Amino acid sequence: MEYGIHVHDIRLLPNDPREVCRASWRDILPPGPLRAIYFGSEFCADLLPDATQVARYCAHAGDAGIEAVLLTPVATPGGLARIAQLLASLSVAGDVPAVVFNDWGVATLLRDSFPRLKRRAGRLMNRGLRDPRLMEKVMDSKSISGDRGGRMRSFLAQSGVSAVETDADLEGGFLGDGTDGMQRVLYLPYAFAASSRNCLIKADHARTIDECFTKGLGTSCSGLCRGAWHRIDRSDTDLPLWRAGNTVFFEVPRFRAEVHIEQADRIVLHERPTA
Amino acid sequence: MKILAPLRHSDEVAPLLEAGADEFFCGLTPPGWVSRFGLAWANRRAPQSAGVPDLDDFERIITGAGKRPVYVALNAPYYPPGAVELLADFGATLLDKGAAGLIVADMELLLALVEAGQGARLHLSSLATCINAGSARFYLDLGIRRIILPRHLTLNEIEAVLIPGLEFETFLLNDGCVFEEGLCATTHAAGAFCTMDGEGTQGVSPETLERYAFWKWTLNHCGCRTGNDYPLGPCGLCAIPRLLRSGIASFKVVGREASLSRKVASVRIAALSLRLARGGSGPAEIRQAVIALRGSPQMCEERHLCYYPDLWEQKESIC
Repeated sequence: MEYGIHVHDIRLLPNDPREVCRASWRDILPPGPLRAIYFGSEFCADLLPDATQVARYCAHAGDAGIEAVLLTPVATPGGLARIAQLLASLSVAGDVPAVVFNDWGVATLLRDSFPRLKRRAGRLMNRGLRDPRLMEKVMDSKSISGDRGGRMRSFLAQSGVSAVETDADLEGGFLGDGTDGMQRVLYLPYAFAASSRNCLIKADHARTIDECFTKGLGTSCSGLCRGAWHRIDRSDTDLPLWRAGNTVFFEVPRFRAEVHIEQADRIVLHERPTA
Repeated sequence: MKILAPLRHSDEVAPLLEAGADEFFCGLTPPGWVSRFGLAWANRRAPQSAGVPDLDDFERIITGAGKRPVYVALNAPYYPPGAVELLADFGATLLDKGAAGLIVADMELLLALVEAGQGARLHLSSLATCINAGSARFYLDLGIRRIILPRHLTLNEIEAVLIPGLEFETFLLNDGCVFEEGLCATTHAAGAFCTMDGEGTQGVSPETLERYAFWKWTLNHCGCRTGNDYPLGPCGLCAIPRLLRSGIASFKVVGREASLSRKVASVRIAALSLRLARGGSGPAEIRQAVIALRGSPQMCEERHLCYYPDLWEQKESIC
């Protein structure tokens, strides 16, 4: 097992990557070295770092002898243009992070225009169920129900994708048995439940009604949600839920995480819920 | 340019044709599905409330629709192990029986159907979240025929996604979604997760939460209301002229599980708006005609129901 981490301050790399998580998680996480640092955004193009910030991440990762991994979101036309511009700037500067794509348009852009960059299929490529209301209820949680996503993994592997990444869904089996040659990556301890462009936090910072929800889809966002996450208390689940930016996350029950860990080659530990 | 109408029973075909439907979509659950896959749904909507009862009724739908295309949704966002093979066979059966195409979201099923040579009869569900031209090109390369664009796109964004070689379908009426449908990993089988969303969120102002609750209420047809029997829900009727110019192939009226009367009213007002647009009417004239039928002018004037509010000039209303 090896580890990646997604932390707010890359200058503070831990000696043991498991220190990123609360102590209660550490007894189910096998020991392993830190191999990668993750940054960027999977859920909102407005939260993508600029080229200077990415260069800083890449330099820091290079100094530490670990891989820099840029997360990218599902992208609107404007978002895709922004990603293309960012990748072009990075290529010119010689910064070459691996890139996690969560959108087939981004995947195609990487393949056709930036073939030097290592491509990794992100967790949103797995559309499996992650309903926090069911996480503690359905299925025999001690087993994964079988292989799922074999055609897609073959397709990805044949396209030159180097890794398939996911968080802990209800069904399991998405990462396969590793025979397709791609690294299998599991995100812990947070899984996403739902995401939306109709961002509640954007609306909370809005000046006018026209920046809110459907009416605000066409207006840009200054990303004031960065660094903030909000606890959500719901009566229909006992799991801790958070809203970070435009996305609702929950902490995966440990018993469910354990069966996914068995399928992973790398675990990416998120310091906190992050859109 | 077509009005796409939802169906759940063959009895609905004739009244919806009369109301102005040009094509139909419905959902079916394969025989033997429940015994193998339990409560997992074969498509996005609940089989009990939105599904066509059986293959016999589906054949009656095909007969009743005549030359009008009928598409079948097999568009759950993912399937449990073993389901894709069963659904690929079932899809082939439906096409043999006269379905004009299959609506698919799950990549695994899509690849299986493409491998089976059915690419040209596939519509990509809005659940697949194709929202940029690069992604559209990816699906074009797989050979699919139509892309159903998700709800939460502006008109400018829609126009930037369109590429030659594919048909595009947009949402026109009814049934909003709080989250991006394809990025909602919860299931309505456990109740709509979004119903309670917002409540209990710490650190967000009460005023914002109130606005959020109001917006969600409009997505839910203003609390399931109608105006003169027309649904008071999400609506893109005024945008038809612009979408026509953009080359959108089909306008989706949502709501397979709705009552026949709601379906008929929705298709009727959609068909009227399309006729007006074809006759040269602009957004303002269509809006006037819609308000004359549906009432509730304030909901239109303040753009509360709009799928595409960017059609209208923004007013600087302070929060």
